[in-house]
Amino acid sequence: MSSLMKAPANTPVWVDEARCKACDKCVAYCPAGVLAMRQDPQTVLGAMIEVVTPEACIGCNECELVCPDFAIYVADKKEFKFAKLTDQAKERAEAIVANKYMKLA
Amino acid sequence: MAFNYDKYLRTSKMPTLWCWGCGDGVILKSFIRAIDKLGWEKDDIALVSGIGCSGRFSSYVDMNTVHTTHGRTIAFATGIKLANPDKHVVCVAGDGDGLAIGGNHTIHGARRNIDITMILINNFIYGLTNSQTSPTTPRGFWTVTQKTGNIDPTFNACNLVEGAGASFVARESVTQPRKLEKVLVAALKHKGFSFVEALSNCHINLGRKNKMGSAMANLEWIDSISMPKKKWEALPEEEKMNYLPTGILKQDENAPEYCEMYEEVKKAHQGKRGKITQDDFAKKI
Repeated sequence: MSSLMKAPANTPVWVDEARCKACDKCVAYCPAGVLAMRQDPQTVLGAMIEVVTPEACIGCNECELVCPDFAIYVADKKEFKFAKLTDQAKERAEAIVANKYMKLA
Repeated sequence: MAFNYDKYLRTSKMPTLWCWGCGDGVILKSFIRAIDKLGWEKDDIALVSGIGCSGRFSSYVDMNTVHTTHGRTIAFATGIKLANPDKHVVCVAGDGDGLAIGGNHTIHGARRNIDITMILINNFIYGLTNSQTSPTTPRGFWTVTQKTGNIDPTFNACNLVEGAGASFVARESVTQPRKLEKVLVAALKHKGFSFVEALSNCHINLGRKNKMGSAMANLEWIDSISMPKKKWEALPEEEKMNYLPTGILKQDENAPEYCEMYEEVKKAHQGKRGKITQDDFAKKI
């Protein structure tokens, strides 16, 4: 078992950067604007996933389900109290998608 | 703790060799969750894969795996199943692997109704070898072998195996990972030939030349050509051919299973019963 399977303390969603290929799928599926891409010249596509607003995570698990590379993990609902989906979070999610999945300045 | 996929993976092979955003990874994850839900031991499962991007399945799962020749997954799996009838045998093939090069094996596996679960990953193209026309490439699409637009009519994989005699037929797409997991659980549990067509994206070798170069654009196209079975049935007849129904399309628990019939053959040879006659079957011809 990879050590990354276990949630870091008080974290709803976390990523394994060694496995992520920056395909944007998790960012596109996140309804709460929790995830976004940052620029990273070291990677093939020049981007890397980042958890930008962990406090907004609603625990829907969509990002984990659609990630093809086993790179993103969501905490168990029993272990973490997730936030509710707010209008502000929905707007942020739309803004990130409109910003080509890159994190907002 | 998050769901532990690594329990079923050869983690030394990670990250996968698939392109970014490839649907194969989503199918692999759904398959792992289905196995976990059923509580099967890794040693009780044999996974057979052919050639193509789908062939990488056997490299990544930590089970009994065979990476076989092109299109011959069902042939190898039939042998494995007949020798080990108490084990679970799963085949993973792509649309080119399972419908073109191995099309003959697929229909005869379905005809025998042998207890194998076949996952056919349909990404509508020969992805690994760079965009040749496959039996499921939609007409009018650009491919490297038909640069002015594909003119070949397509196979409807589910109708094909249903006609050939499979007792479980289902279709699901990678845009619905939870539904895919449920369908896989039902398919793995089913006794008899179970066929699951998983619609997948290949935005690299199908999408880039057909105006859907990103994973999300390709997935939106898959959503636009597929719909749940109930909704599909309500469509007018002339529109039905433009969409692929998803969900469980056929489930027949009463069809005689091949390994069970083979046990009868063994008994007949040992003199424990008479010869097999037409009376042993409900369906005579």
